[in-house]
Amino acid sequence: MATHAAAPARSLYDEFLALFSNVLFAVSLFAVWGVLTLIGVVVDQGKDAAAYWNEYPAPVARLILRLHLDNIYHSPAYVGIIGLILVSLAVCTFKRVIPARLPPLRTVKIDAIPLNASIDVHGEEGAVRARIADFFASRGWQVRKREFGGEEWMFADRHNWARRGVLVAHIGFVIIAMGTTIYWWKGFQGTTAILTGQTITVPETGARIRLERFGYRFDPVQTKSGLVYQPIDYVSNVTVTGKDGVARQATIRVNDPLDVDGTLYYQATYGYGISFSLTKDGVPVPNAPNGPLKEGAGFQVADTPRAIQYTRFIGTIDRATGQPGADPRPNNPAVVLSAFDGDQPLGDILVPLGKSIDLGGGYKLTPAHYTLYSGLQYRYDPGVPLVGIGAFVLLSGLCIAFYLLPARLYVRITGTGRDWHVGLAATTVKGYDIFEEQFHDLVTALVSGPLGECRLHTNAEGPDSAGAPRSGGRAGWAGAP
Amino acid sequence: MNIDQVLLITALAAYITGTIVFIGYFLSRNPVMRTIGIPLAAIGCVAQFGELGARWIISGIWPLTNLYGSLSLFSAMGVLIFIAFALKYNLWFTGGFVLLIAAIALGYATTWNEGYMPAVPALQSYWIKVHVPLVISSYASFMVAFVVGALYLVKYSFEKYFGRKQTVAAAMTSAGAVNVPVSEYNADVGISDVRVTGLRNDTPNIAAAAARGDFWGMWLETLPSLAKLDILAYRIIAVGLPLLTIGIITGAWWAKEAWGAYWQWDPKETAALLSWIVYASYMHLHTRNVWRGYRCAWINVIGFATIIFCYLGVNIWISGLHSYKV
Repeated sequence: MATHAAAPARSLYDEFLALFSNVLFAVSLFAVWGVLTLIGVVVDQGKDAAAYWNEYPAPVARLILRLHLDNIYHSPAYVGIIGLILVSLAVCTFKRVIPARLPPLRTVKIDAIPLNASIDVHGEEGAVRARIADFFASRGWQVRKREFGGEEWMFADRHNWARRGVLVAHIGFVIIAMGTTIYWWKGFQGTTAILTGQTITVPETGARIRLERFGYRFDPVQTKSGLVYQPIDYVSNVTVTGKDGVARQATIRVNDPLDVDGTLYYQATYGYGISFSLTKDGVPVPNAPNGPLKEGAGFQVADTPRAIQYTRFIGTIDRATGQPGADPRPNNPAVVLSAFDGDQPLGDILVPLGKSIDLGGGYKLTPAHYTLYSGLQYRYDPGVPLVGIGAFVLLSGLCIAFYLLPARLYVRITGTGRDWHVGLAATTVKGYDIFEEQFHDLVTALVSGPLGECRLHTNAEGPDSAGAPRSGGRAGWAGAP
Repeated sequence: MNIDQVLLITALAAYITGTIVFIGYFLSRNPVMRTIGIPLAAIGCVAQFGELGARWIISGIWPLTNLYGSLSLFSAMGVLIFIAFALKYNLWFTGGFVLLIAAIALGYATTWNEGYMPAVPALQSYWIKVHVPLVISSYASFMVAFVVGALYLVKYSFEKYFGRKQTVAAAMTSAGAVNVPVSEYNADVGISDVRVTGLRNDTPNIAAAAARGDFWGMWLETLPSLAKLDILAYRIIAVGLPLLTIGIITGAWWAKEAWGAYWQWDPKETAALLSWIVYASYMHLHTRNVWRGYRCAWINVIGFATIIFCYLGVNIWISGLHSYKV
């Protein structure tokens, strides 16, 4: 009875490397990442719990909230998967990509490689070898010769450097990840809404921004579906004071952010701040509310459980119907107010500017006038250059990996006297099918070119002259004289 | 009627006629039909690019600011990519299906045509002339790859079907092995003294059915081998994936300029990421022998489903920062 030597047990570290360098494992992580991403696309993200209860059946809403699918991109599962993919990418790069892409020169069984050819040549050995070597060299192949057991083998490599394409792509990902990490480490972002004439100080930078004017432009456009008011421009005219203490005028538009000491300010939103006037028994109630309210803001009516929220600004009330019109520009404007009694919503009401509503208990509320405000987003991201470089490197790697086909030809010449048998086989990093036609063309050119001058005699019938697949599904071809 | 409308109708008519002609070619392999179909595809493609250009000139507005414009470009780029690959890899047999999808896309696009609309502020950027064509071109590439992948699956399924049928027939008649003829695909390569065998002959059951005179067998036998279809799909995806990657990167750069962050987890962004993940998986798995072919063809089909979801599903049904439906 034969005895088998026990395979040495792999350490936990080796097991880890084996798992994380496995392509199927990486693709499994991709699959999980894809599923989580799909959930994030389909399920609205970042809404209040009430929104999910309203939008989905109760069991689905419960599932979404319990599993934190409402904020999936920042969930531990999502971040964990991306982390695992990065680990897999790194391990795969060092364990598999780098070593496997530089195969050593070694002998092979020519017939065992699916892409193979055999040619019988009549001539001087030196001339045959030289012509074959020159043929491949003239076509851009790197020809190298090695002796194994007293027999000379010829190896021709093409696009050998492109074997590093996957490595370059992976490095691109790593650089992007580094750029993103730098943002997490050093960067910040925030939003601010500035009323016309108001000055704010950005807490992270100390920069002071005063909104001098906010402007917009809507053009009425007649479409096939009717008249629409197409937004054309949003612009904030601001006075900015940066670290140098010098105030300067600037404009911020969509797609045209303002750079203040490396922090970029973007035109994000705009709105109408409403100044309300609250009276009790005809007497103004001071500071109720205190200053203009922005959309979504509200205030408590003093000494009552009642609260009023400014929900939405309506640019135009249709004079004929009394309902909101399509024109978003302020032309007979109104506001939608929501009333609450404690936590209980009492309903919404449309109130034209300048008109009063009775809140009960002697209170009357009047939306007096509006003031435009501009919503700005600001962001400091020192990782941007690295992300840009990483993206370029990634793309370069992808192009190298996809469009160049590193291939190796193995040439073995055997025989005696003036009769030589040339065995040729080809391997590529992308399998055999992709190189089949090129191999076919290459050998045809070899047969009809330099070897033809050596009074070529090819084996007229190949081993598979009947056209049936060879055993094991291998392929070969044979050239006719 | 404006010149752009004339060109639109010309393109649509060329695609519909071309679809019929190319499907006729697909079924009959009559080269005359291919000869008629090629100029039809070219005329439709040129007319569509002309239509987009005419819209730009007439209105002074970049035409790719709405779903009508982007769907028009999708069908035009799909046909252009098809022609390019067909010229290089003899892909004309897919013409009927590509033109059919192009015609459907263009016909559907007309339902979103609201006339000449100026761009909203978010779209008023030079990036729209870079990002949108890149992304749409990637979608178009994946569409052509999908057609090839679907044909792979059809041929593969028939190979299995004929295999089962043949096994039953062989058992009933106690017949021996079927004599498999040499596949004649590539007879037009023009090399008479070299014969390629082996790898191409990967559907012996279809070949046997064709030899028996089975209609479907003879028809499928004219398609390239499964290996060749797989490689064709790979080559087209190898064009589409870098385009999608550049599209996502340029979109992220644009988002950074417009919104302040290059990634906002907007449904459109993440749906594009999903498609990227699927096609990146395809590329990884295509390096493995056991995954190449049938399984990768399915991933190709799934990938195109995610593209349709990203392109139309998210645009139409899911609101987000890309709600202007480009």
